[in-house]
Amino acid sequence: MQKYWTVFRVNWQNALQYRGPTAISILGNLLHILVLLYLWNAIYQSEQSLGDYSLSDLITYYILQLLINSMVLSYISWQIGTEIREGSFSNFLIKPVNYLHYWFTINLSGKLFEGLMISVVGLIMAGVLADYITLPDNLTTALHFAFAMILGAILAFEFDFAIGILAFWLVQIDSFKYMLQYGMFFLAGALLPLDLFPMLFQQIAHALPFRFMVYFPIRIFLGKETQPYEGFMIAGLWIVGLYFILQFGLKRGITRYEAAGK
Amino acid sequence: MSAIEVRNLNKTFKTQKKEAGLKGSLKGLFWRETLYKEAVKSVSFSLEEGELVGFLGPNGAGKTTLLKMLSGILYPTSGEAQVLGFTPWQRHRDYQRQFAIVMGQKNQLWWDLPPAESFLLNRDIYGVDHRTFQYTLDEMVELLDLKNLLNIPVRQLSLGQRMKCELVASLLHQPRVLFLDEPTIGLDVISQEKIRSFVKSYNRLKKTTVLLTSHYMQDVEQLCERVLVINHGGIVYDGPLTSLSNRYIDHKIIKIRFAEPQSATAPSNLKGIVEWDKHHALLKIQKKEVAQITHKLLGDFPIEDLSVEEVEVEEVIRRIFEERPDTENF
Amino acid sequence: MGQTLRRYFALYRSFLSHNLKNEMMYRVNFAINVGLDIFFTTVNVIFFAILYGNIETVGGWTFHQTLILVGTVGIVREMAYLTFRKGFLELGEYVRTGNFDVMLTTPMSTASHLAFRHVSLTESLGEGLMGLVLVGYGFSHLDQATWISIPFYVLMLFNSLAIYYGFCLMVSSLVFWLIKSQELNTVIYYFMNTARYPRDIYHGLGKAFFTFLIPSSLIATTPATLLTGKIDAPLMALSLFVAAGLLSLGLFIWTRSLNHYGSASS
Repeated sequence: MQKYWTVFRVNWQNALQYRGPTAISILGNLLHILVLLYLWNAIYQSEQSLGDYSLSDLITYYILQLLINSMVLSYISWQIGTEIREGSFSNFLIKPVNYLHYWFTINLSGKLFEGLMISVVGLIMAGVLADYITLPDNLTTALHFAFAMILGAILAFEFDFAIGILAFWLVQIDSFKYMLQYGMFFLAGALLPLDLFPMLFQQIAHALPFRFMVYFPIRIFLGKETQPYEGFMIAGLWIVGLYFILQFGLKRGITRYEAAGK
Repeated sequence: MSAIEVRNLNKTFKTQKKEAGLKGSLKGLFWRETLYKEAVKSVSFSLEEGELVGFLGPNGAGKTTLLKMLSGILYPTSGEAQVLGFTPWQRHRDYQRQFAIVMGQKNQLWWDLPPAESFLLNRDIYGVDHRTFQYTLDEMVELLDLKNLLNIPVRQLSLGQRMKCELVASLLHQPRVLFLDEPTIGLDVISQEKIRSFVKSYNRLKKTTVLLTSHYMQDVEQLCERVLVINHGGIVYDGPLTSLSNRYIDHKIIKIRFAEPQSATAPSNLKGIVEWDKHHALLKIQKKEVAQITHKLLGDFPIEDLSVEEVEVEEVIRRIFEERPDTENF
Repeated sequence: MGQTLRRYFALYRSFLSHNLKNEMMYRVNFAINVGLDIFFTTVNVIFFAILYGNIETVGGWTFHQTLILVGTVGIVREMAYLTFRKGFLELGEYVRTGNFDVMLTTPMSTASHLAFRHVSLTESLGEGLMGLVLVGYGFSHLDQATWISIPFYVLMLFNSLAIYYGFCLMVSSLVFWLIKSQELNTVIYYFMNTARYPRDIYHGLGKAFFTFLIPSSLIATTPATLLTGKIDAPLMALSLFVAAGLLSLGLFIWTRSLNHYGSASS
């Protein structure tokens, strides 16, 4: 356990070195959200509405999306891909560290760091937009939301890790990865709430596990999902199932990597 | 008129101190201590047109910083420099057309294209007319024996071949001043030799003023009559390579081979012993005592062979650099 | 002046031909890039299709008009990749590897050298072509489209390119302080992405902000407004004014940043 704690700490130290870039990246996200707020506001001003969402629901949706983008969605596959492609993955083969657990720690540490940063921004925003924010009205909802976020973060990590270790089999996959990631986020409800989709898309998105990363936790927060237990169970099953698949895939990947003799 | 004239040039960098540990990093988020590093300290020298001068110094001595200032990449903190009558950091186009800098570890050739393509691009950037370009290119291809490499993608060339092409790319506009920053770094011995002989003959042929940095002693030894030794940002020696040892080294090396085995332990009455065994000995002796000690040795021991040698230049340089211990924080 | 322009035009041609030769080396990459672009543009269109499945107009813009906005962003992006974008995108890398130092020593303006260094036809070709298709499709579905508006549209495309360039100069200048350019590129990416939404969604302070400080609201809306048949002279004048202002500001900041680089880097 100690070694993973060290990894966690060093990663924070590293992140702190880049205060400038971090601030800029938050600023960029903020402006993006700001534009979307104007967009929704314009739509609701002309007395239209999107599904069963009120304006404050939508604004809350996108502020939470900002939070989720930092705390839940994972982007480590880029580094994993580079490590495998350029051969620095070999360093792990000689260390008593499980690659999956190692990256889980890095990701966890990174997500908490970013989350802390973005929470400050999010709170300020929520303060400014207080009139437009829908808050959960009871503790149970808040707890459900927190739990859903954790499940979402683990799932997002697992999928991203899977994309990362594809590099064992495919050499130049950056573009492919972009598509997978973007498609995944789209089906997770990161761009638009899933129930605004046409019926067929909705059914597809509902059958896939990606919705647990964005759409599901936000629905809970908005009080539109009061009995989320079935969702928790399905997400939990995916997490466990994927864990075994990933460990298996990692083992196969390493065998392949060693055979290539990099 | 001298080609390069440098007076009292200084360059101080500001860096921020980073503390170790998570606590230090957190502190660094809000407050960082600023440190100053004097990379170049009141440097003055001048070069005549056509001279080939070597800059000698360990890593971090300030060689590259100095070259970058003379190329106009960096501004000095204070001081003056004139190259071909221009102040480099004004980045005057007419100056830029007349000099070139080659940095051994950086490449300007296009990785995936044959070098010939990069040459064409440089021709256009420097506005060289087509006939002059062709003539210059042919001449250098001949000198460097590159004929068969011009149409092979750069990524398939060896390090030495790549360096030769870098040189060609930088010389197409026939610069009057050439800065070479570690041109032989990382190359094998044969390539090093070829680059050296090219620089030497090019300098003779074109009367180009060349300022070269290297931490390979041989580069400087073979190419330059005059050296500037730089350490901790300041010039500590400026003059011919040959008098460097006279100035800094006050001893010579005496090597002895005994005619018959001696005792394995060195005699205690003899000073300056570096090595001693039954058959050989090596002594480091003050110059003024050489004659006297040699005489004594020849009298006291059965000697088959004795030689008195100058300390190698490399050793001389090491002495200079060790003379002033590093007291800074870097 | 004319001579300088001619020289830079010749230099551009030289750089472009070198880059094209370079891109030919990676034909597979080319196909992948185009495919990727088409994928992303399609997702964007789907986004608006879903949105318009629930509502009629956004800030007074219909679905077909919005397609013109989306397409215009694609066209401006491709124009930018053909002239400067990729070089600025790679600035951080050039600074780190020292290639930027070489650019400082050549007898060319540093901003042009950086811009021309990696002019790319294929990097954004897919989005550019999709953009043309979307603009064409949207245009053919307009009620009051006139052919006269096309030259105005093209003129304003170039004006948007100038705004984009000015913004790029401004933001990329920060590379000399941060050394990392990835986050800055994300900001520029968002800048163009949010340009897809019509300017009419903004009001009050926000409108001023997205017009003068971060003029993303003008990039697509100005050309598209003209194409939809409304010769909106004040909007045109505003866009031209902002472009001129931003270019000057961008060049000013860029020059100051180069000075900073010269005195602070090692």
